[in-house]
Amino acid sequence: MSWAVLVRSAIVAALCRRARRDRSKVPVVPNDLPLPSSTMLSRLVLISANALKGSGPLGAGVVQASRSLHSSSQSLAPVPSLPEKGGKVRHGIIPEELFQLLYPKTGVTGPYMLGTGLLIYMLSKEIYVINHETFAAASIGAVIIYGIRKFGPSVAAFADKLNEDKVAKAQEVKDLAMSSLTQATEDEKKEQWRVEGRSMLFDAKRNNVAMLLETNYRERLHTVTNEVKRRLDYQIALQNLQHRMAQEHMVNWVEKNVVSSITPQQEKESIAKCLTDLKALAKATHAKATA
Amino acid sequence: MALNFFDQFMSPVFLGLPLMALALTLPWILLPTPSSRWVNNRLLTLQGWFINRFTQQLLLPINTQGHKWALMFSSLMIFLLSLNMLGLLPYTFTPTTQLSLNMGLAVPLWLATVIVGMRNQPTHSLGHLLPEGTPTLLIPVLIVIETISLFIRPLALGVRLTANLTAGHLLIQLIATAAFVLLPLMPAVALMTTMLLLLLTLLEVAVAMIQAYVFVLLLSLYLQENV
Repeated sequence: MSWAVLVRSAIVAALCRRARRDRSKVPVVPNDLPLPSSTMLSRLVLISANALKGSGPLGAGVVQASRSLHSSSQSLAPVPSLPEKGGKVRHGIIPEELFQLLYPKTGVTGPYMLGTGLLIYMLSKEIYVINHETFAAASIGAVIIYGIRKFGPSVAAFADKLNEDKVAKAQEVKDLAMSSLTQATEDEKKEQWRVEGRSMLFDAKRNNVAMLLETNYRERLHTVTNEVKRRLDYQIALQNLQHRMAQEHMVNWVEKNVVSSITPQQEKESIAKCLTDLKALAKATHAKATA
Repeated sequence: MALNFFDQFMSPVFLGLPLMALALTLPWILLPTPSSRWVNNRLLTLQGWFINRFTQQLLLPINTQGHKWALMFSSLMIFLLSLNMLGLLPYTFTPTTQLSLNMGLAVPLWLATVIVGMRNQPTHSLGHLLPEGTPTLLIPVLIVIETISLFIRPLALGVRLTANLTAGHLLIQLIATAAFVLLPLMPAVALMTTMLLLLLTLLEVAVAMIQAYVFVLLLSLYLQENV
């Protein structure tokens, strides 16, 4: 089987050398030979790539340029994302790929039969001898499995929480920045609205001031009127007083003169007249009373 | 392949080539490599968290000068922890059961703490040889005793780790042998012995972790005295 591979690789290498000399033809797998399986093709690629690397002046350059053996990306950015979960395993340690590999030939129970057979083979041929270490292995195995079963989920949750807290802290900073920026935008809009109402505010203020001035003016007018009236009232009162005083004085003078002008003769005559009058009056009343 | 009880403590040699270097360096492969990503997978997150918390706790009582030793302490802890825990698996060789290795770790580190103390603050370091409040008559005796205790420290550090691990491993072997031998003879007793073995295994897991921690803790204590 390997001879065929070597022969094929030699043919492909020769073709490549010829192609590079021509520079017109691409190396092609000859059609008459049967195509090998996928595993062998990779070996073929490896061998031919190795041949290509060594041969010719531009051998190395050609292979490097095509990156036929590289598996990672050529640029560092954007950073390639990591898989979110690890490889799937069955029973904790056996990768699922083994089961997929054996499934076509041996079905579902294949790997288990393999495991059991292997174990029994090793025990029966005494490749592995059961001794005291087996017991120690069993006990440490039991401790490990118990530990993982019991504390596995909680430890995983703890690790997830650590990561989530980290992300949440950064997210919080971002959210805070965003909310403060939106708040600033709204405040700015409000300020712009306020600016529109500025002229109304100034009108109102102007009206206020005018009213204040008007009120003040009226007050002062009122005060002036009151003051003038007071002064005039004073003058009137003064004149009344003078008038009254003159009148009183005149009356007093007239009385004084009249009283001083009455002579003693006049006084006697008047008294005698008064007496006769009184007598006549008494007679009259007496007559009226008896009548 | 008949095992005698002391094969597990022999330094591994293959075709004349000593494998001690492999035994010491291979546990490093099991630890995940820190990546440049901000959010990592669970294993790396847990490792980072553990190392952070451990170093923080350990360096808490030590002043700023001693923080230079942080890398040494954390790496020593991870080293001893991984060696001890891996040694519990069957058919494995535990390097920390070798007195040479443990003394090789203890003596230079202890000596480093002493020399750091003697160089930077000799009075303060020498002052540790006499505890406070001792009666005057006892001073000479006490100084001699404290000096002896100072020089016993590296010995104690190394031998403690060696003895604990060797004794543990040996006990596991013995009790496993007892269970193995009793199984065809008296299965019930073998069952009880297996229970004992399980408990002992649990103890050994704890001892593995505790001994690594005690080693590093004591070194940090010695550093605290001298720095």
